[in-house]
Amino acid sequence: MHRLMLGAVALLTGAMLAAPGSAYEGVDVADGGSISGDVKYQGDPPAPAKIVVTKDNEVCGKEKTSPDLIVGADKGIANVVVRISNIQKGKKLAPATTPPTFDQKGCEYAPHVLAFPAGSTVQILNSDGILHNVHTTSTANPSFNQAQPKFKKTIEAKIDKPEMPIKVQCDAHGWMHAWWISEDHPYYAVTDAKGAFKIADVPPGDYELELWHETLGKQTQKVSVKAKEDAKISVQMTKK
Amino acid sequence: MARRNTEIDEEKKSRSVLFLLSAVALLVTGLWAVWNDNISRRPWKIFQYEFRNLEYKRAQDAVGAESARLEADPQYEDLQKQLVAARQSLTEGETARQIADRQARLAALEKRLAVVDLDLRFVKSELEEAWYELDHAREFGQPEEPRRARIDKLEAHRVETKKQYDDLTHQKEQLESEMKELQAGVKTIEDKIADVSAERTKLEQRLEGMVVLHVGPLKMLQVPRIEQAVIEEYDRNAYNQPIARVDRCVSCHSGIDKPGFEDQANPFKTHPDRDHLLSKHPPDKFGCTPCHDGQGASVNSVAQAHGDVPFWEHPLLRGEKVQARCNKCHMDVADVDHADHIAMGQKLFENLGCTGCHLVEGLEELPKVGPYLRRIGAKVDPSWLTRWVTNPHQFRPSTKMPNFLFAPEQGTAVAAYLLQASTKESQEWLAQYPAPPGVDARNSTLVARGQQITEQIGCKGCHAFAPGEHGPRLGAGVDEAANGADTGAGLRTSKDIAPNLANIAEKTNGRWIFHWLKNPRHFSPVSRMPSLRLSDDEAAAVTSYLLTLGAPKPEPPERLAALARPETIVDGEKLVRKYGCAGCHDIPGMENESRIGVELSAFGGKSVEELFFGDRYDVPRTWDDWTLNKIRTPRVYATERIEQVMPQFDLPDEDIKELRVFLTSRNEHVVPVKYRYKPNDPAQKQIVDGERLIAKYNCSGCHQIEGKGGFIRAFYQENLSLAPPILYGEGAKVQADWLFNFLKGPVPIRPWLKLRMPTFNLSDEDTNVLVDYFTARARKDIPFVYVDTGAIAPENIAAAKQLMSPDYFNCFSCHVQGDKNPEGPPEGWAPNLAMAKHRLNPDWILQWIHDPQKLQPGTKMPSFYPGGPDDVFGGDEDRQIRAIRDYLMVLGLPEGNRAGTQVAQRPPAGR
Ligand SMILES: [Cu+2]
Repeated sequence: MHRLMLGAVALLTGAMLAAPGSAYEGVDVADGGSISGDVKYQGDPPAPAKIVVTKDNEVCGKEKTSPDLIVGADKGIANVVVRISNIQKGKKLAPATTPPTFDQKGCEYAPHVLAFPAGSTVQILNSDGILHNVHTTSTANPSFNQAQPKFKKTIEAKIDKPEMPIKVQCDAHGWMHAWWISEDHPYYAVTDAKGAFKIADVPPGDYELELWHETLGKQTQKVSVKAKEDAKISVQMTKK
Repeated sequence: MARRNTEIDEEKKSRSVLFLLSAVALLVTGLWAVWNDNISRRPWKIFQYEFRNLEYKRAQDAVGAESARLEADPQYEDLQKQLVAARQSLTEGETARQIADRQARLAALEKRLAVVDLDLRFVKSELEEAWYELDHAREFGQPEEPRRARIDKLEAHRVETKKQYDDLTHQKEQLESEMKELQAGVKTIEDKIADVSAERTKLEQRLEGMVVLHVGPLKMLQVPRIEQAVIEEYDRNAYNQPIARVDRCVSCHSGIDKPGFEDQANPFKTHPDRDHLLSKHPPDKFGCTPCHDGQGASVNSVAQAHGDVPFWEHPLLRGEKVQARCNKCHMDVADVDHADHIAMGQKLFENLGCTGCHLVEGLEELPKVGPYLRRIGAKVDPSWLTRWVTNPHQFRPSTKMPNFLFAPEQGTAVAAYLLQASTKESQEWLAQYPAPPGVDARNSTLVARGQQITEQIGCKGCHAFAPGEHGPRLGAGVDEAANGADTGAGLRTSKDIAPNLANIAEKTNGRWIFHWLKNPRHFSPVSRMPSLRLSDDEAAAVTSYLLTLGAPKPEPPERLAALARPETIVDGEKLVRKYGCAGCHDIPGMENESRIGVELSAFGGKSVEELFFGDRYDVPRTWDDWTLNKIRTPRVYATERIEQVMPQFDLPDEDIKELRVFLTSRNEHVVPVKYRYKPNDPAQKQIVDGERLIAKYNCSGCHQIEGKGGFIRAFYQENLSLAPPILYGEGAKVQADWLFNFLKGPVPIRPWLKLRMPTFNLSDEDTNVLVDYFTARARKDIPFVYVDTGAIAPENIAAAKQLMSPDYFNCFSCHVQGDKNPEGPPEGWAPNLAMAKHRLNPDWILQWIHDPQKLQPGTKMPSFYPGGPDDVFGGDEDRQIRAIRDYLMVLGLPEGNRAGTQVAQRPPAGR
């Protein structure tokens, strides 16, 4: 009985795990539309937080601006992950031609939010020439904590399963953190410094757009995509 | 005459009807006897018969399924085709012709060989005869010459014939081997087929093995027979002589130790935990009833076999009670898989203070679980005390203190006695511990700081601070709606390990809180509460904060006046004695009280006839129901004439059922040593004793120890690296003497933690128990060995210094080194590496550097390996790791003075 139940649980879990992965089907998209737009801060954005640096000042500098919330001149919010959360079918998830790179420069991560297709091998660079460590907190993928001393210019990390977000931090420099987004479909984008994004080749249909920002949380938005047309979206986010 | 006539009449009478009836009766009786003997009185035969049919059917299906699989397997099909082709080639074509040729030659050869063979034998016997004649001639002085000539002639013939024979044999062997070679193709394919279909062959053999007799197309399976296990010396008879226990359960439960019947209902079902439990307790050695109870020898009916009949003392254990026998062989049920219910029952029994009133063998010496009341007058507000004694659950439903269901005046009387009896010691304490300066509950800054401290240093590892909130709890940790049985706030609840501090200001005062926080042992030498090493300022802030939780509620003056009245005090003393308060509390004047409850050492063996149900005709007459109702509502069986005094705990049924499992386990049966699990293993006792202390001091409120506990981690989900360290394999990690000293007087190891490892003021004895516990857990045999750090190679030190330098691993970017702190804020620091030589086991350091995440998932320490530099020891990573370890063993020692330094370490497992 026990074993049977375990079996059933394993089956169920298997089914549940398999569901999101198997849900997306790659096909040819001929008459795709696109979604573009921007994400803006609603109300007056708070002044960017400052971080006083008290370690490795020669490399890291004396003061940093916190990457927790970066609002541009026109109130555009950078580093918002914009993704279609309910797409079943669309263009194939092409493996990246060049692997995603993730640099540690001036004791900051660049980019602060890195999105890539699941199965990618992230090239982690250390441009600083001091000891950093790359410590991820993951659930779907195994967490790791890899030291990257001065003599290791590049290390690699393969992320097999879709997961969002994976927090990345450096334990040697408490302020250093970043986010990785591993996707099982290609319809995602990260907003630029002006808060703008674009998602192309979307098969016509009604979708749910999910927006995620590390400090502002998650928000969803309905969107209709018509063949060969651009669906314009403007979203506002604010601190809750 | 008349008489004679009668006789004649008798003889003439026909008895045929009577005879017929008798014959019918005899036949019926005979048939009935057969029927009864084989069927109605032997229900197990039917079960076994059904099971054997089921088993045969399953085996047939398995063969069928395997055959179908094979038929569908292209490899098998291909092999079959190959076989046909190969066989065909033996009957036609070139190979066939060659074989036929060899066969013909072989036949001819064999004919000739037979002739030669016969000839050789004749020659040999003629030779024997000739030799005899020669001997005979010598004896009787006849001429030897002709005889010797005959021998020579025969010998020549023999040599010639033998040569022919050998020649022919050789030719025959050659032909045979040629034949074999010609037929080899078939053999190879046959072997391959046998390989591929090995599983089917196995299944077929199993199927065939089940049939004992073939009668034409009919197959007869094994005739049902009693299957029994004899467990030698397991029981004792009325004269205390060891006797065997005989279990015949498997006669019906035929599938219990056979995989593949998991989907069946009992009695055919496979044991639900066969893999775990039966592999360790094979039924042919341990039987079934040692764990399950029941009447193992009986096979007459299901009810009898299960012991569900009047006067059988050990009916089948059902539900969670199936664990109630684990303790008979396993000393430490807390450490046994599948024994969670009995382990929880025992934990509840010990921690709720049951042993204060009830004697239980093996648990005689447990400390009192309640607070120390010798100075109670200095601690509590008298108004609160009267209410508390009257009904503690009103104030705090999660308290372990039970409700004695006192009338308000009884509560007042008990409070009066406690206050009066503790006057002297309370006054002495107050004289020594004056009101502290700096406590101010109206100073919001101070209160906020106090609250911040309580949240940072780890108070929540044990205490909750708001009404209805819970700290770590004993038991299942559930709240259950009261079903008329509760006496508190409308719910029955799993008890908190440490008091909920909501409304603490209603109970006590700032002066007491302050000194208690500074060092609880100064007030109560037996308290489990540790010292957090608070400074006076910190203690004042925390006290101020706690004083904002609730406010004193004075009782009416008449009630308070009654507290001082001598007759109230006398009443109180009687109540304290009668209700056995001293079972759990140290009370002045009650030092020599004995336990007031009945002994429970053999309670689990009590029959229903021995249980007193009072007037409760509604309670079903079973041990289970009696016990459930007794713990739920302890005075449920009181009658007009028979008073009961057991207090009410208001536990949820889930906890009561666990307690019931523990009580079931208490009976008189003693299992012989040879059946017990490692009865002489000292580690078993070390683990039991250690776990008891860990539960007492609630170490697992903060630490996750060997995979269990870590309640406080719930508050650190955002950043688990700020939570208390996980203790996993601690005995392998740290040196025994360091651990001993650390437990006696903790020093901060992780500068980034705001939490404080408290000072528990443990006795040397208790500290040793904990050190032994970790040693036993880590499967170490002995705690200390000697390592000569003077023998460390200088090139290792040089390599390690290079590896740890900023250009390489830059260890001191985070690690403290003696009195040199790293840059940046302390929360970014890592432990002082100069501590390692005294703290860490050298072998453990190797494993740690090799893969820190494996030893402590989530640790801030990153992995440096694989990935060591190529220019140190030619990239030999193991050598690099050893060098770092060696250097750590001397780091912080004066350069020139390292030779002969001694480090105590634990040996690696298995040495
Ligand atoms: Cu860093």
